[in-house]
Amino acid sequence: MHKSRLALTLLVCSLLTTPTFAQTAATVGAAPAAMGSPLYTTFGEKPGLVKLVDDFMERLVADPRTEPHFKPADQKHIKAQLVDQICVALGGPCVYKGADMKTSHSNLDITKADFNALVEVLQLAMEAKGIAFGAQNQLLAKLAPMHRDVITVKD
Amino acid sequence: MKTFKTVLTLTALGLCASHATADTGKLLLTGGVSSIDGAAGGGMTPWAVIGTNATSGEIGGTAFVTRANTQDYGLTTIGAAVGWHDRVEVSLAQQDFNASPSIALNGIAPFGVMPGQHIKMDILGIKLKVAGDAVLDSDTWMPQIAVGLEHKRVSPGSLGSVLKFLDTQTSGTDVYVSATKLLLAQSVLLNGTLRYTNANQNGLLGFGSGAPGRSSRSLVPEFSVAYLLSKNWAVGAEYRVKPNNLEALGRAAGLGDALAEDNWKDLFVAWAPNKRTSVTLAYVDLGRIVPGITGNRKQTGYYLSAQLAF
Repeated sequence: MHKSRLALTLLVCSLLTTPTFAQTAATVGAAPAAMGSPLYTTFGEKPGLVKLVDDFMERLVADPRTEPHFKPADQKHIKAQLVDQICVALGGPCVYKGADMKTSHSNLDITKADFNALVEVLQLAMEAKGIAFGAQNQLLAKLAPMHRDVITVKD
Repeated sequence: MKTFKTVLTLTALGLCASHATADTGKLLLTGGVSSIDGAAGGGMTPWAVIGTNATSGEIGGTAFVTRANTQDYGLTTIGAAVGWHDRVEVSLAQQDFNASPSIALNGIAPFGVMPGQHIKMDILGIKLKVAGDAVLDSDTWMPQIAVGLEHKRVSPGSLGSVLKFLDTQTSGTDVYVSATKLLLAQSVLLNGTLRYTNANQNGLLGFGSGAPGRSSRSLVPEFSVAYLLSKNWAVGAEYRVKPNNLEALGRAAGLGDALAEDNWKDLFVAWAPNKRTSVTLAYVDLGRIVPGITGNRKQTGYYLSAQLAF
């Protein structure tokens, strides 16, 4: 896509997502793929999520609490899945095609402390990207229930 | 005091046990702060959260010191708590209440109250989480629920004769159930506690009352609401209904509302710069505390608390 066309599309998208144009958006028809919920926009949509997840994975490998789980893993694959998962959680126009949380974590040793550590690292990554605290919590609210399937070591 | 120091030492030693020591198990501020009775929660109310940073499979500890000052009274509390596997919490607190205005009671009868009299109270708290997860169950309205007790023993010093006269006990056990929910998407925490108690001014003026005051325990509700401004800052408010057991006794003795007890309220701000430390500053409105000797004044003032986590 030419830069100018892309710029025009993004401009149209951002206009369409403002309340004034909401009515128009509903009647105009098929909205461009980049348009989504306000929360999705706050996170910078797909490009923003890719950057966030890249940074997130770096932090996960650097943090001694999560490093044992993520260093040996297929990071590229996990990152792609995370982008889709978070996109869906934010109300973005994505489809998560990966395995369910239970299946993908069942053979791993994951404690509540591990889960909380990951949440903290995600908080740091979001903070670094300048995501407002309220928006961070909105995403966490969507992801937190996964603890039931992700945590395999029950107390 | 000696006994208390011993207990603290033992607690500290206990924390060196082989279980994983809780450095960073819980998310910041989700363990609450130390209430004045020693239990984790808000400043004046125990919440359903288990204190310390320890999450499942971990053991953690906290220690705190709190100072509150109003027009006529002052309160210092110190204490410590141990959290086991985010399921059980045991706390110990000692309150030191400056009850100097009580010397005025000698004007009513020869009670022999000494000048500058302090009331001490020791509190043993045990809390058990029974259901839910306040933070992570963000797709349901189900709160975290805990039940607990606070066994309190008051040492009134020369005010002992007054407590005897009022026919109050010098020890009592509050039993409570708390429900706490963090509405994560809204960054709002809500707590409701139902306490079964006959404590007067939380126990500082003994437990129960001679007739026609109320000697038996009654159910009183307590509420907290907190708004998380950021990862390290929260603001909120609390409201505690009090049983007001002694007022009727005072009236019967022709003293009007001299022994009335009002509900407690506060507005607070809590700051947790890291997992180790939290500081809470509050404006408290404790209503009337023995208004008969304090010119019917409402006791308002500040509350400052610092908590360390291990």
